[in-house]
Amino acid sequence: MHSPNEADRLGNLMRAAQEGDSDAYLLVLREITPLLRRAVHQHRNFLQSSDVEDLVQDILLSLHSVRATYDPARPFLPWLMAIARNRMADGARRHVRRAANEVSVAEYPETFSDEPTNNLGDGYRDPEALRQAIGSLPHGQRQAIEMLKLREMSLKEAASMTGMSVVALKVAVHRGMTALRKVLSVEA
Amino acid sequence: MDTDQLIQQLSRGPTPVGRLPAPWRRAAIWFAISVPYVAAVIWLHSMSFDVTQMLADRQFIVEQIATLLTAIAAVTAAFCSVVPGYDRRILLFPLPPLTIWLISIGEGCVRDWLRLGAQGLALRADWDCLPPAALIGIVPALAIVIMLRRGAPLYPRVSLALAALAVAALGNFGLRFFHVGDASIMVLVWHFGSVVVLALLAGWIGKRVLNWKKAELAAQP
Repeated sequence: MHSPNEADRLGNLMRAAQEGDSDAYLLVLREITPLLRRAVHQHRNFLQSSDVEDLVQDILLSLHSVRATYDPARPFLPWLMAIARNRMADGARRHVRRAANEVSVAEYPETFSDEPTNNLGDGYRDPEALRQAIGSLPHGQRQAIEMLKLREMSLKEAASMTGMSVVALKVAVHRGMTALRKVLSVEA
Repeated sequence: MDTDQLIQQLSRGPTPVGRLPAPWRRAAIWFAISVPYVAAVIWLHSMSFDVTQMLADRQFIVEQIATLLTAIAAVTAAFCSVVPGYDRRILLFPLPPLTIWLISIGEGCVRDWLRLGAQGLALRADWDCLPPAALIGIVPALAIVIMLRRGAPLYPRVSLALAALAVAALGNFGLRFFHVGDASIMVLVWHFGSVVVLALLAGWIGKRVLNWKKAELAAQP
């Protein structure tokens, strides 16, 4: 941790930076970066070093955007660390959100070596039968399946194109899928 | 981009930045903008008040002092909340005057109930008060949001809830001069209730109004 004199020096440099001294700003940013890196390592020791660097850059950007809030009459390090803690908390929230929505798989598991048992794509094995089954659906259900499942449009996009409501589309796609399952399982 | 490149970029010819004044000074600036506006809204609605009746009503005086102190404490705490490095306990600064305000109204409710029975707790709508009540917060609210956005969005929900508390408390301070004889239940539901609802709503949208993305965009030359 920096000594009081060192912290005062950083405060003075920051004051000069606020007044437009680019050398002082360069110096203060360079001096606080290892400090921030250490703080991030200490509080988020589970992060990869690239994530640590991203977080440090986030903190530097945030510091830059609110540099007008530094009051030279107040200590520099508590000001800096309050920004750092806040950005680390945001980073942790982002990390948790990402982890909750992502499943990272290094390699798809292969159960048997034979090709037919490793049908990794989601494609249906008899596309012609599927095409016919979709063709036999009522107009609304067919349209909903084509737009939402085959063309992968969003509900909003499909609703604006068809003039159907989002709820009606959801119902149509659900009924269409149920009908397809029935038809295709009978055929199989 | 690596960190050293980012540092080089950030430090390349930074223009001088206008240092933010201390929170109490910003609170004073906000009052200087808001108080004349609140007075003007009340004057435009040609409301008249009875000074003798006001001075004779002890509960009214306590309530008004607590309301004003709530506005002062809330706006100061809101401005402190956007400056990194302040102790977080400062966010609780408006709680004591707010509690006194609530206790004072509660005491009035009990007194009205003992004096008038169920009639003392009867609630009615006062639609005449609605236009000035809606108008009175506009300029103070705009001013405080603009001022808060110059700070760091450390606790956006709390900052905006405190801002709404300050705006609503100041508005109530002004409007209450014309409701000196009102039943306390009216003050509790319409005046205090609106303050709480506004603060909660503001807290709810806090992150949309104050966030780091907006702060970083605003800082770009």
